[in-house]
Amino acid sequence: MSEPQTKWERRVDAALGIAASLILFLMMLLTFVDVVARYLFNFPLRGGFEVTELMLLVLIFAGLPLVSHADEHVTMDFIDRVLAEGARRRVVRVVHGICAAVMFFLTWQVWIKADRISGYGDTTDVLRITIGPFVYFMALMILLTGLVHAYKVLRPGEAPASQATS
Amino acid sequence: MIEAVLGLLAILVLAFVRIPIALSMGIVGIIGYAYMRDWTWGAAFATAQTKIYETGRNYALSVVPLFILMGNLVTRAGMSQELFRAAYAFIGHLRGGLAMATIVACGGFGAICGSSIATAATFAKVAYPSMKQYGYSDALATGAIASGGTLGILIPPSTIMVIYGIMTNTNIGKLFAAGILPGILAVVLLCLAVQFVTWRDPKAGPPGRRMPWRERFATLDGVAWFVALGIAIIAVVQFGWVAGDDAAVVGALVVFALSLFYKGVTSVIALFTLVMGGIYGGVFTATEGAGVGAVGALVFALARRALDWRSLYAALLESARTTSMLFLILIGALMFAEFVNITTMPKDLIAFITRWQVSPVMVVAAIMVIYVLLGTAMEELSMILLTVPVFFPLIVHLGLDPIWFGVLIVVVVEIGLISPPVGMNLFVLKTLLPQVSTTTVFRGVLPFFTADCVRLALLIAFPILSLWLPGMMR
Repeated sequence: MSEPQTKWERRVDAALGIAASLILFLMMLLTFVDVVARYLFNFPLRGGFEVTELMLLVLIFAGLPLVSHADEHVTMDFIDRVLAEGARRRVVRVVHGICAAVMFFLTWQVWIKADRISGYGDTTDVLRITIGPFVYFMALMILLTGLVHAYKVLRPGEAPASQATS
Repeated sequence: MIEAVLGLLAILVLAFVRIPIALSMGIVGIIGYAYMRDWTWGAAFATAQTKIYETGRNYALSVVPLFILMGNLVTRAGMSQELFRAAYAFIGHLRGGLAMATIVACGGFGAICGSSIATAATFAKVAYPSMKQYGYSDALATGAIASGGTLGILIPPSTIMVIYGIMTNTNIGKLFAAGILPGILAVVLLCLAVQFVTWRDPKAGPPGRRMPWRERFATLDGVAWFVALGIAIIAVVQFGWVAGDDAAVVGALVVFALSLFYKGVTSVIALFTLVMGGIYGGVFTATEGAGVGAVGALVFALARRALDWRSLYAALLESARTTSMLFLILIGALMFAEFVNITTMPKDLIAFITRWQVSPVMVVAAIMVIYVLLGTAMEELSMILLTVPVFFPLIVHLGLDPIWFGVLIVVVVEIGLISPPVGMNLFVLKTLLPQVSTTTVFRGVLPFFTADCVRLALLIAFPILSLWLPGMMR
């Protein structure tokens, strides 16, 4: 990050980063313990896969604002070679605006889904964990991602194009 | 038909103006879906909700972050260094030997890491300095690293295979098994490419130091124990003293213990055997294998004292971010797939093939040519996710094996990763080795690009190369 970050940016970044890392670490341990318990002690963890599912959900959506903040979404950068620097910056701002709009729209949709799931009082099959709060968490994280993009309309930063997926 | 084609074009236009590809696919997917349902937005929105929620909460998908984490941990554990040293000890003294050692070591590293970019980045640090020391040309050195790096996604584990498997409901364990022989073929062909380059210009890759046999075998410390253990387990199971599953579990534990004492190549073999043996032998699923592999990688890294809190956190955070990024693309692609599935495109393509009696091999060859061309300009994973909903029904209709098609797809992605102008591996090398010019990297990769195309042709012509190993699985 070449650009100076505000205190709040750093704090939220660190908090989400630690949360996502911790979840991933626990997910790894849970999967491992599940296998070991089943083969060595013939004692499969009841509902372990349900916990893994919910952890995956938290992991993905807690990471989303981080990815947007670091401009790591896969983007094609052909246009950068054609445009002058000033025009490129304007394009980047407009794109952040569009991203923010899409994220706000998705927040609305996922919130509707969350309302419905909470309304039914859905729980997981084995451990009876209430699912509703997790879906609200999804919606909130997508909202935060939208806010990150909205913020970047004002302060776009370097906006490098990333293509690192495989 | 026309709607789906327009949809694909719309995605390319949106992506071209710098909208992240995941969102481009998602936007077009939702609007296209609404259009196909006579502008009932409610149906389109409901699909979007379901796709986001179901992709996020899906046990099978937890395999993705775990394999990414395993790769990020082994990258930090210094195993690449040891692999390169062993390969160097055996073949470094040949003409172009260091470049071949790089490729062999990349293949070995690919057996524990599922990412091409990570493999290329690791060997840019490990192998490039040695090659420079012996006066290798920059073109040959960077070409060998960039192309060797692509082995990361062909030799299991492999993130691309995992995602293809999830998209198409193909067994991930079998896909992994299918990548092994093509991976060995790749190592051989890439080494031949090195031989070709050094035959044309011996100065490009002079021989390294010849080591006495004692020194060579010293790099394989502990492998003898490993082989002995393997034979013992097979014997015990053959004579029926112990059940296969139990022997596998005991074997895994002993392997683990052994490899903590012996550093070097042994631990790579151990980790690979642990994960792939477990998946191949049906002891655990691919998802569980990923969890076991990640814990194994963590233990090895800790045993070598290669990991402090800071780098453990870095590995976890990097994996988490990559996971989020991949899942957003996956969600976007799934929305687009929903739209394509209700257009007439898949049916029209099948009708076209039936009408003109095109032979299946020609169809596959045509698809691969399209991929190689597209791959020069597009980001590879997005390209696959975008086109699989269109092509996959065709493959199934023609009665071709989805596992074979999966291996071919991985090979085209590999080619895309090293094809100028936007091959990601070339980009990684340019970033890590700023002193090497772009033209040199492009020139250096050409012989390897050719070798990869030959490999693709061989794999299309002889499906048995991909299908023999998975065919023997339970």
